[in-house]
Amino acid sequence: MNAAFRYLVWRSARNRVARQLRQLRQPRYLAALVLGLGYLWIVVLQQRPTSLASVGVEAGLVELLAALAVLGAVLWSWLFGAERRALGFTPAEVTFLFSGPVTRRELIGFKLLKTQLVILLNAILWTVVLSHDRAGLSTWLRAVSVWVLLTTLSLHRLSATFVRTSLREQGWHGLPHRAASLLVVTVVLAAAGWSIAEAAPAIAASWSRGIAEFLGALRDAAHGTVPRALLYPFALAVRPVTAGTPAEWLSAMGPALTVLALHYVWVIRWDAAFEEAAAEASLRRAAALTDPRTGRIAGRPVSRSTPQLLRLKPEGWPGGAIVWKNFLAAVRFRRVRGGAIALGLAGVLLAVLSFYGEGTLAELAGWFTLTWAGVVLVVGPQWVRNDLRNDLLMLDLLRAYPLRGSTVVGAEVMASASVLTALQLSLLLLTFLAFLGNETLEPGLAARGALLLGAVVCLPLLNFHNVLIQNGAALLFPAWVQLGPSRAGGVEALGQSMLLIIGSAVLLSAILLLPLAAGSVVFLALRPHLGLWSLIPAVPAAAGLLALEGAVTVRWLGRVFERTEPGAALAVN
Amino acid sequence: MIEVEALHKLYGDLPAVQGLSFRVEPGEVVGLVGPNGAGKTTTIRSIAGIIRPTRGSIRIAGHDLATDPVPAKMALAFVPDEPHLFEYLTVEEHLRFVGRLYQVPDVAQRIPVILEEMELAARGGALPGELSRGMKQKLAIACGLLHSPKAMLLDEPLTGLDPVGIRRMKATIVRRAEAGAAVILSSHLLHLVEEICTRVLILNHGRMLALGTVAEIVAGRADLAGRPLEDVFLALIGDTEGGD
Repeated sequence: MNAAFRYLVWRSARNRVARQLRQLRQPRYLAALVLGLGYLWIVVLQQRPTSLASVGVEAGLVELLAALAVLGAVLWSWLFGAERRALGFTPAEVTFLFSGPVTRRELIGFKLLKTQLVILLNAILWTVVLSHDRAGLSTWLRAVSVWVLLTTLSLHRLSATFVRTSLREQGWHGLPHRAASLLVVTVVLAAAGWSIAEAAPAIAASWSRGIAEFLGALRDAAHGTVPRALLYPFALAVRPVTAGTPAEWLSAMGPALTVLALHYVWVIRWDAAFEEAAAEASLRRAAALTDPRTGRIAGRPVSRSTPQLLRLKPEGWPGGAIVWKNFLAAVRFRRVRGGAIALGLAGVLLAVLSFYGEGTLAELAGWFTLTWAGVVLVVGPQWVRNDLRNDLLMLDLLRAYPLRGSTVVGAEVMASASVLTALQLSLLLLTFLAFLGNETLEPGLAARGALLLGAVVCLPLLNFHNVLIQNGAALLFPAWVQLGPSRAGGVEALGQSMLLIIGSAVLLSAILLLPLAAGSVVFLALRPHLGLWSLIPAVPAAAGLLALEGAVTVRWLGRVFERTEPGAALAVN
Repeated sequence: MIEVEALHKLYGDLPAVQGLSFRVEPGEVVGLVGPNGAGKTTTIRSIAGIIRPTRGSIRIAGHDLATDPVPAKMALAFVPDEPHLFEYLTVEEHLRFVGRLYQVPDVAQRIPVILEEMELAARGGALPGELSRGMKQKLAIACGLLHSPKAMLLDEPLTGLDPVGIRRMKATIVRRAEAGAAVILSSHLLHLVEEICTRVLILNHGRMLALGTVAEIVAGRADLAGRPLEDVFLALIGDTEGGD
């Protein structure tokens, strides 16, 4: 490893931490630190989840569940991984390193070294969580196990990103260089699909008979030849983490380290393949140039127009310009029209299917979309970041606009909240349609319709508050929050993400307390007279209070925005 | 009109600007010059409403920036030295965005005119990532000019422009001033300042060293009579540093 890289990573990390610690001279950062430590103490140390083994789940099953989780994470990185984050280099790194006398292999090594900072932090978090009820294994051994697992997963994600990116960049020309990788992935995906299809009926049937039956069915399904072979490398990777004694740990570490080493070789081997494929792609690009004056590549027009529906009118609320800008950023390059058509067709198809046979396929899709609506509600505010978390990097510009601080904050939050709401309502609508023909499901069709309408009222407000929490954190603690389009992500940053999600959920619960109490009082008071119809005054009462809380918070954050000075506050980012 | 009265700005204990007072009348172009760290950017950012002065007052077109910021900023255009553009808005969408912010009713008519003026007419559908550094700078300037501001703050506006672009930009600045805008132009290009500015404000260590036409500034220094602004500037700064 280049000594200059080690110096760069070490000094950058040291200076960053020192700078963040210096922020503690400001009372709000100090208060946040105290609150944060208290929160960690309660969430991680006092409320550690009870291990599965301690509630009677055998060690083999724990390993199986862990291997399944890792398999899921790996498949996710292949199907939905974010290239920009995994391969991201800062502009300064590009300027100094890409133009410097540095081999591509050294660059990959630098990237791996940088990732270690996140991995080490998250290894500590996971070690603390997993140390509960693990008397037979020391914390140090556990920490090493977690580090090996997270590093392996990080390397895997990086390789997956290389394959995906180079395939997209070089197309069929790069195929020979990554045929082996693609073959393995195709086999794994096929095996996973086949295993799921084989085991799904038995596992689904066991669900209604309780958790023990469900876990038993899962274990039986994993004993088949194909699933066992599929899960084998993942089991090797997680075995040190689930080991109960030092002897078990020692025997598990060898294979786990071998898996890690193989991944390292896989990543480093991209050096040659990357160079060769890049050369071929350059030739192809040169041949594809149709206009030597403009240098345009055939089939890739450089201009684009705004769809009529998204044209911004010059008159109206000035904050609407910011909402429009952020909304465009969220939907640009995503095939919104195609997505909307696909959504409509899927809805019609699900609705029709729900009336035929036993509606199993529609039902399965319904549970899937419902689960995703929940996932988007909880995790979505961390994914959709076209708001202050992005724009604070251009605080100079925002501050020069003729807008009040509260207008800027409200508009920035509104954009992300709108995107999330549209996504969730689409998923809920699909869920509703998937169960349209189901007459046995409780709650009944009318109640499900009422719940959907309730979601139309409540979700915008919930999302607004959820995004407001994230934006408030960015505004109040810009030196501690990752600004810009990217964020720490991937399996290696899962610990941090979980803590953030739990923290936001706690804050949101506190915000919801008063509106829910008010709504409940109205509901209970009117129920003897109106029955379920008392929901009609109760929901607006709760929603009104929630909106009032939002308005007060936006006003307060607007004043914070007006007092925030660009240079000092954002220097860390 | 831009009115600055007893402007002070401290960063912690470090004074960046100390007791600065001046006015820029409609039709005037005032050149803000000074060595690195003199307080030019702090002054411009304070007038743009980006940072809050520690003491003192700023009025734009009669509106106090501290108590009446929205109307004050409505009359203002700020063009920073580094063009800050939104990654996912095209050239034309940037202008539509600014049109809504500044409530420009005839934005649809103004966009083609200003794109033509900035030589960006053929790039209306391009994203910032597809523009050269100079084109980005032109777009940032176009965004500043779209709402016909009464006061303009230009921080190194010619950075990245080619010779033709520089000539057109100088003409644009002069034309806007002649149409009644009050312009402050911060630049290290002293020949540019000398060429298009009606007055010069020289800053050093956050304090005003001189304000006036070049002739007025050298009036008290017979040794500098008839010398270009660059010599005058170096002599004045040298005097200050020598006094330190």
